[in-house]
Order: sequence, then C-alpha cells, then structure tokens
Amino acid sequence: MTTQRLVFDAAAVLTILFAAVMTVHRHPVKSVLALVVSFFGLAVCYVMLSAPFIAAIQVIVYAGAILVLFLFVLMLLNVGEETRERDPRPIQRALAGVALVLFAGMLLGLLRAHGAAIAAPRDALTADVAPLARLLFASYLLPFEALSVLLLAALVGAFVLARRETDS
Amino acid sequence: MIGSIPLGDVLLASGALFTIGLAGALLRRSAISIFLSIEVMMNAANLALIGYGSALGTLEGQVVVFFIIAIAAAEASVGLAIFVALFRHKETIDVNRINLLKW
Repeated sequence: MTTQRLVFDAAAVLTILFAAVMTVHRHPVKSVLALVVSFFGLAVCYVMLSAPFIAAIQVIVYAGAILVLFLFVLMLLNVGEETRERDPRPIQRALAGVALVLFAGMLLGLLRAHGAAIAAPRDALTADVAPLARLLFASYLLPFEALSVLLLAALVGAFVLARRETDS
Repeated sequence: MIGSIPLGDVLLASGALFTIGLAGALLRRSAISIFLSIEVMMNAANLALIGYGSALGTLEGQVVVFFIIAIAAAEASVGLAIFVALFRHKETIDVNRINLLKW
C-alpha cells in the first residue's frame, strides 16, 4: 500500500465519518460545521486524484462560500435543535429505512461490478491547471458563459424571494 | 488505477457518501438539514466524476465538476432564499409543518 493510497483512504474515511456526524446531529449549526470538515477531507481526496484546481474550488466555493451562506441563514432564522416529538407517521420512517438499506446494497453491488472495468489511463494527468483552462475556455466556452447568466438569474431570484413584501 | 489508487476505492467512498446523504435527506425533519444532505449527495457524484476522469486520463470530469459546483452555488442561494421566505410566513422550517401543497 503506497503513501498516495494511504492518504486517499484516510481522507475518504474522514469525509464519510464527518458526513455521518452531519446526518445524526440534531443541531443544524453543528451539522454545518461537521460538513466543513467533511468537505476539507474531500478536497484532500481531489488532490490525491490529481485534480488540485477542483480541490481549491471545493475549499473556496463550497466550504468558504456555500456553507458560510448556510451558517448565515441559520443564524438569521435562529433555528434551534430539532425537537424530539412523536412522529405523526412512523410507518413512513420505517419504509425510508428499508428503502435506504436496499439502495445501499444496490449501489454497492453496482460499484463492485464496475470498479475494475476501466482500462489503464492513456497518459497520467499532471497537476498543471493550464490544460484545464484551455479546455474550459475553448471547447466549453458556451456552457461557461451560460453559467454566468444562470448565476445572475439565481442572484436576482434570491433577491426577489427573500425580499420583504411591501404593499405599495 | 489512478497513480496507485484503485478506482474501486474511489467508487466505494462515493457510494458510501451518497448513501449517507440519502439517509439524511430521508430521515431529517429540518429543511436546512435536508438541504445539507442534498449537498453531500452532490459531492458524492463529484467524487465519482473526478475518479473516473482521472482513471480515464481525461480532464472532462474536472470540467463537469466545475460546472456542478457553480450550479450548486446558484441552487444554494435560491434554496436558502426560499427558506427565509417560508420562515417569514410559517415561523418554522420543519418539513412536517409545511404542508401547503398537501391535499
């Protein structure tokens, strides 16, 4: 077992562990903080998979911007711990659990069947960002520009939705 | 194999992460927790894309992940704005109490 694989596996275990912590915590702020750690682990995984640019984006945009937005909204709304109360439909929860186990089994079987089916890479990827930029600004220029319009639309939409209603 | 990481490891991690996200989305009651679980599922898909991209020696996987992260940012801003508007009307974001569209 080489160092690269060891680091990847350790980071993946950390990611999964903190994602599980996020799921079981009843307090949303603690959930968000656990998810920050999880996303940092995922960034380490991306570096090990020779995608350092995506790792940087993961830290800057996901952990730095999206999760901070979540924290802002949580503190704005002052959302507390989920109250422990009797579920109005316990059968729904049980069915969800069964569906989850079935889904996990299906996914595991599928991945086990497919994991080894990939041929060896033609050429190893480098840590260089320049080829990615060339691809992004040449072949994928139109989707890239469309994305900027989408982000603008999301900005306007969020503003309109969150605005206080004023009767003029 | 990516360097010395077998693709199976990457896919296993991705599958586990997706299942955890799904569990959160199905079992939580706070709308924000459900939203966070959806983010986890999206990241599981990202991990699988990066793994396949590296295994095949192409950069397309990274380009797709780049787009997904940008769209996730847009989705998060609109989703959280919806929660703020919802909280203003109902004073709660517990999904058991938000049943306007239920018959």
